[in-house]
This record gives sequence, C-alpha cells and structure tokens, in this order.
Amino acid sequence: MSSISGLVAVLLTVLQWAGRGLPSPVRPICDPRVLDRFIMEARDTENALRGCKAGCGVTGTFVVPLTNVDFVVLETKDTEEQALEVQSGLFLFGQALGAVRESVSRAAVKSLIDNNKSNIHSLGQVLRSLHIKDLSLSPAPAVGDSATRKVSSLSELLRVHTNFLRGKVRLLLTNAPACQQNST
Amino acid sequence: MTNNNLNKLLVFCVLFCAQKTSIVHGAQALETKVALLLHAEPENPKCFAEGMSDLTCFWEEDEERAGSADQYSFIYTYQNENSSECSVTALPAAGGKRLYFCRLSQTQLFVPLDIRVFRDELLIHNRSLFIELVFLLDPPANLTLTSTGTQGQLKASWLPPSLKYMGDSMMYEVSYTMAGSHIGKVEEVQASSELILRGLQSGTKYKVRIRVKLDGISYSGYWSTWTDPVLMETMPGDLDPLIVSLSLIISLVLTLLSLLVLMSHRRFLLKKIWPIIPTPESKFQGLFKVYVFASLEYETRYEEWLGHSTGGLWLRPAYFYSEEFPAPLEVLSEVSLGPALPSSALPPKASEALGEEDEDEKLKRVDSALMEGWRETPQEHWPMDQLRAIHQHPAPWTQSSLLESHDAYVTLNAQNHSGEEPLDDILEETLPLQVLFASGRTSSESRSDLGSFQQSSGLGRLSSQSSFEYPNHTWPPKGPGYTYMAVADSGVSMDYSPMSSSKIDDIGKGVIYTNEYKNEIPAHRRPIGTPIHFAF
Repeated sequence: MSSISGLVAVLLTVLQWAGRGLPSPVRPICDPRVLDRFIMEARDTENALRGCKAGCGVTGTFVVPLTNVDFVVLETKDTEEQALEVQSGLFLFGQALGAVRESVSRAAVKSLIDNNKSNIHSLGQVLRSLHIKDLSLSPAPAVGDSATRKVSSLSELLRVHTNFLRGKVRLLLTNAPACQQNST
Repeated sequence: MTNNNLNKLLVFCVLFCAQKTSIVHGAQALETKVALLLHAEPENPKCFAEGMSDLTCFWEEDEERAGSADQYSFIYTYQNENSSECSVTALPAAGGKRLYFCRLSQTQLFVPLDIRVFRDELLIHNRSLFIELVFLLDPPANLTLTSTGTQGQLKASWLPPSLKYMGDSMMYEVSYTMAGSHIGKVEEVQASSELILRGLQSGTKYKVRIRVKLDGISYSGYWSTWTDPVLMETMPGDLDPLIVSLSLIISLVLTLLSLLVLMSHRRFLLKKIWPIIPTPESKFQGLFKVYVFASLEYETRYEEWLGHSTGGLWLRPAYFYSEEFPAPLEVLSEVSLGPALPSSALPPKASEALGEEDEDEKLKRVDSALMEGWRETPQEHWPMDQLRAIHQHPAPWTQSSLLESHDAYVTLNAQNHSGEEPLDDILEETLPLQVLFASGRTSSESRSDLGSFQQSSGLGRLSSQSSFEYPNHTWPPKGPGYTYMAVADSGVSMDYSPMSSSKIDDIGKGVIYTNEYKNEIPAHRRPIGTPIHFAF
C-alpha cells in the first residue's frame, strides 16, 4: 500500500510538471513597459559589446530580419501580416543569438547574450497572450529572403536586434487587437 | 453664370487666405524650430521629424560662402537600399546667413539613414541617423488651467500631439511660476494629458506652460518649444479649520480660567469695588446704642455727651459724630432728671451690687450714677427712661416720677473693677448713652443687642448688655401698646431693627428682636455677674 501511494504521489508530481509546459489562457499583456524593458536591455547589451575587440571572438554571418518601418505602408498591413513578420524575425534572432553564445568565451558576454535570449523567449509569451501564435520555436517561417539580410559582426547583430524590438515588435504590440479593446 | 463665377472666385480667395495664414503660421513654427535646433544640435545637417512620415533637414551657410540651392545635393540612403536624392531649397536667415532645407515626405524608421550633402560635388556634410530618434514635435495645444476645488491646487490639462503609435511614449514638462516671479518649478509627467499642481499658494496667480518630448525608449527627440503661458489664480485662502478650532478652544480655556480666578477672589474684588464702609465697632466696643426711641432731644443729649468725652483715647467725638441720627418716631415731652447723685458711693456699691442685693438700692445707686453723668446737662433725657415713663405715666414726667417708675431699668454689670474714679468716669461716659437691659442670670443666654463694652485699662471689665429679650427680666411693661423701633447707633452707622409690639407687656416676655444685632461683640466678652437692677 505504501508503495502504491508513493507511486501515485510521483505520478501527480510528474503530471504537474508536464502541466506547466502546456499552454494556458493568460491575460493579454498590453503594458508597453514590458517590451520597453526588453528594448532597454537589448540596448544596454549593444552598448556594452560595441567596443568588443575582434567582435568578441564572434565570426560568421547571421541572418537577421529587416527592421525598417514605413508607417504609410504599415497602415496597409493587417495585424496578421505584422505578426508574421515579428515572429519570423524573433525566430531568426533566437537562432543567431544561440550561435553567438556558442562562439563567445567570456562569461560576461555569455550572460548578456543569455539575457537577451530569455527576453526573446518572453516576447513569445507576450505574443501568445495577445492571441498571436508564437512561431519562434517552430521551424523557419515562410518568409521570403527579401525580408531578411545578413550581418557579419556581433555589434551589427545586436543593433539590428534592438531596432527590431523598438520598431516592428513594439508596433505590433501597440496595435494588437487584444490591447485595443482596453484602450480608448 | 456671373454669379457662379463670383462665388468660385470668392471661395478661391477665402481658401487662398486661409492657406496663406497657415503658411505664415507654418513658417513661424519652422523658424522657431530652426532656431531651437541650431542651438541644440551640433551635427550637420540638422534634421528633425515632425510627424510619422516626414523628415526635415537643414544646414546653415555664411553669405559669402553660400551659393545657390542648385549647387547643393542632398543624398540619403537607407540601410540595404539604394540612395535617393532630395531637392534643396534656400531661405535667407538673420545675421547674414543662409539656410538650406531638404524635406522628405516618406521615411523609414528603425533603420539607419545615411545623409550626405554635396556642394558642387564636394561633400560638406555626412551624417547617419535614425529618424525615430530625432523627433521635434509641436508643443501641446489647448493648455487649460482649472481649479480642483482644493486649496493650493490647480489642474493643468492639454491636448497631446496627434501622433499615432506614439501617445504612450510622450513625456511632458510642466513649468509653473507665480506671476511676476522668475523662480519656478518644473514637473514631469509621462503618457498623460493632465497634471494636478499641488503645494501652491492660495489666492495667487500662477503662470503655467508646458513642452513635450518623446521618452527615448522607442522614440526620442528634442524638447519642443514652450507653449504660450496660461495664467490662473488659485482659490483664495481660507481659514484653516484647525487654527479656528484651536483658537476657540484656547479662548474657552482662558475664559474658564479667568472665571475661576474671579470666583476665588470675589470677596477681595468686592471689597475693592464695593468697599465696606469701615466701622469702628471693634475698637470702640460698648459704644453701640440701642434706642427704642429716638428723639431730637436725645440727639441733643447725645451731642452734649460727645462734648464731654473728648478726653478719651478711644473716643473721637469728631469721628463718632455721625451725621446719621436716628429718625424720630415719636416726640416725647422733656424729662429733666433729678439732681446729681453722689457718685462716689456708687462704683464700689455697683460692684457689690452684683448678685442678690436689694434691688431698690441698686437702682438708686445706678440712678445716682446716671444722674451724676447727667448733672451737667440742664436737660437730661434718657430716651428709654422717657419711654418707660410714658409707658407708665402718660403725663409729663418729673424726675421723681422717673425715679418712681418701675419700668425703667438701668443695669450696670461691673466686673473686676479696681478703682472708683475710673469707673466713675466710665459710668459717666457710657451710661448716658446706653440703656442697659440685662438679666444677670440669663445674661449669657440673652441675645445681646449691644456690644459689650470692655474697659481694659486696668479698671477691669465693665460690660454692659442690653437686650430686649430677657426672659426673666423685671421689666413689666404696662400701659398702652406701642410700636417702636430699636436703633443701634455706633456713632458711625445706624442699625434699625423694626419691631412691633401691640403692648409693651410683651416686650420682655419674648423675643422681640427678629434681627440680630450685627455688631455683636465676639466671645471675648466676659460674662458678667448679676447686673444691678434698679427700677424707678
């Protein structure tokens, strides 16, 4: 009897663990300060690693999304299109930052990169809360190469990363329908 | 047709005028912004974005170096894109300079923009910027001040610049100063369109202005120009309720304290405000006189007596000569007393008269003393004697009748006397003034209406008491009923004690006085022995 109760307890614990990973309905995160914090941390990382000698030992090229925003053009795009752009871009950045982390040797740089990576992951959560599918973990989205470009240095990568967050991601979150209902 | 043409012309004119006004207004705004950027931005060309899709760049050239606008070329390149060129325009500026402008109407944000300026194929300016970081907005519109209803507060509200997507990134700076003062305070507020200014002085005019800037996280830029100041007066000062209530409490407490002090010292204050007329009763005991009746003759007698007693230390005729004389109630006929009686025999015998002696003898002795005192006066009247005589004998008196009257009593209570002459003097001085009624046995019980006189000059004590109440007195009032009034005269004040009695019979049988003699001599009066009684 005691062994059975122990098994039951273990089962419950395992199920609870698994239950954490399952998606659950969350409140829409509409506070712009959430993304603002991510932006500021990305900027701090960019500033900190700008003077890195020899690119902090990072070599290779990284595919990054385009960050330009034309408001006139933006008006013509709907939310889904914007969301697609954002999600593919976040995916690309995740990949690139992962590759950078493998290249760098200094612990301080590693921690900064890790922080940005976790921020990207958190952004996926935010998008999910706004009922926008998170494709950052899924395979490469169906976005053409025109929407991407290549960078060859860490500083450039981080700058593009910051611009992407400030621009497209923020505009998407500001215009999210889930948040528009709350605001006037 | 003509009307239509005229109408069209009119509309055109109006539109043209309106446009001209807006152009003029726009030009003025541009002028201020240019001036601001010339001061704030060190790089060239100076660029600013006013809206979401525009960019204005300009640079300044000296007149001598300046060429025409055609000589300049403005080349801009977005990242990963091909270059484009912007047309340059020139405007004259103050101080002998020229400004060259280039304006882009469609821009891309969040990407680097490279700008190169050439003058005749010569690169003069090179700059890379992010357009979303060079915003220079128009100042907020419709700045209004309202009262919040609370002391020392004002509410400032305004209309934010109408930029989509950027409302929550705007930061405002509110500057408020007292009208006429140069020292002001500044408050910052983010992503809001109103602010409550606190800590202001009441009833003061304040000058408020505001400017706007993007917060710098996603978008950034320069501080806009200040709005035109708006004046507003704060609510007038009001009595602080706390101060009012504290003042009331303090005044109440002070009032109570003053009342307490007044109550505790009321006697002292009464003495000061309404001083009691001093009476010499305490010093001149035995001077009080009780008159059953007062007459003018008696007043005369009294005055004469005062003349005799000028030698006494404690007798001040002038002092005692009161202007108040008892008012006569009835006029009696004059009675002249008999010849002087031997006085020498009296004093010792008066002392011996204490106790059980022949009353007649006592009376005679006292009478002789009385006579002696009165011998100098041609007409000596004793009001009491007169009254008593009247009681007994309505006919005009003679001395003999007086002597024969059994109703007149003069009692002399002597104690510890040690000398004849002094006593004699005393008798002289006191007796005529007093009618002494005392019952020796009941002297202690009787209520004394007169002060007892005490002579402390070594002669012992000679106390005289008179009272209308002596239960055992031998004062058989007979005769017609009388209403009379007793008067106590201390020489300074008169104390009238009204009493009524239908018959004189009742005088001694009960308490007649209802008012207690106020100048009661305190307990130091020694009880005396049996008074000397003698009747006439």
